[in-house]
Amino acid sequence: MSDSQQKKTFVVTRFDPDRDQAPRKQSYEIPVQSDWKVLDALNFIKDEIDATLSHRWSCRMAVCGSCGMMVDGEPRLTCKEALSEYGDTVEVGPLANFPVVRDLVIEADGFMEKLTSVKPWIIRAKQRAVEEGPMRQSPAELEEFKQFSMCIGCMLCYSACPVVANEPEFIGPAAIALGHRYNLDSRDEGAARRNEVFRGEGTVFSCSFANECSEVCPKHVDPAAAVNQAKLNAVIDWAKGLVLPRGGDE
Amino acid sequence: MSRNAHPHAMAPSKPGRTRTAPPQLPDQFPFRGRYLAYTLFDLTGILYLLLGFLALCAVWCLGSGEAVWNGVLERHRNVFYLGFHTIALVGLIFVGIRFFGFFPKAQPPRVGPVKSPPKPVILAALYALWIGVTVFMTLVLAGGVF
Repeated sequence: MSDSQQKKTFVVTRFDPDRDQAPRKQSYEIPVQSDWKVLDALNFIKDEIDATLSHRWSCRMAVCGSCGMMVDGEPRLTCKEALSEYGDTVEVGPLANFPVVRDLVIEADGFMEKLTSVKPWIIRAKQRAVEEGPMRQSPAELEEFKQFSMCIGCMLCYSACPVVANEPEFIGPAAIALGHRYNLDSRDEGAARRNEVFRGEGTVFSCSFANECSEVCPKHVDPAAAVNQAKLNAVIDWAKGLVLPRGGDE
Repeated sequence: MSRNAHPHAMAPSKPGRTRTAPPQLPDQFPFRGRYLAYTLFDLTGILYLLLGFLALCAVWCLGSGEAVWNGVLERHRNVFYLGFHTIALVGLIFVGIRFFGFFPKAQPPRVGPVKSPPKPVILAALYALWIGVTVFMTLVLAGGVF
């Protein structure tokens, strides 16, 4: 062990669906290195101390969005969080607001359902023929939605959102941001269909602009901006539907 | 994490094969950390409710004659009423600053062909409007206008 090593205590939430009635805490005191991230410590525990610990991770570079967990009560990507920023005791738990499958692994199916509900793909009224060439987009048009396309689906925003905790139907920050991203895309013609989803069950209007989603977003997507822009667009689309013969954008 | 979230928060429409532990609220919700500002923001709704009720009462009394109105003014000259209005003023300034801070980013990049103004311009316009309305209302209440 090098001189730079010190010890930290990790209080990790454990839950075994076959044995535990409810999640419990388990402490591990481990030697850590100064350049470690929180994920490195969890991997050390798994590899060297307790192989039964379950947690998700993949890329280790804040791109895949797999390793989101509550670190000292805050939703964080554990591969991005330097251990040196934390005290001698670090609490790690599964993402808040999600059912827990095991230990630090949450059930993401609900999130995936919400994500697909906003039709996060380009919708065209008529399929473009190959001979017509690519759909061109100017840098200015790209700039309008680029920020919202940076979402990695890490679910930290759902974990921070107080509305998600209390209104299970709420579509939630990441899904709305993604839907809004396609609504802003100059190649897309499906805004009216997405706005219907935004106005329906799980409506964007449930958002009370706590802004917590944007505070915790590791990629600076600013989902709160997307949700609140989507509110206005959904209203405009609804109003257009009242006065125009064929409704909103379609 | 100690407090339960809604039992169905983020649950899939069909339960999976594995038994899951119920979702928990974030530790700091509702009165700690960054959630405090959000909770206080929402709690100011109670102030608006009370202020609205007082305003309705005042209008009602105003229509009941000068004597009743003077009686209302007399009853309002007490420390509790002034205290309430001080709290309401602080609440209003807090809400104004927080709301104005968020408002520019809630504007879509464009509505049809019309582009949103830059965020600093929106912010400046909001504060200018706020100051303008405040000055106007002060002049009205001081008898300078009408």
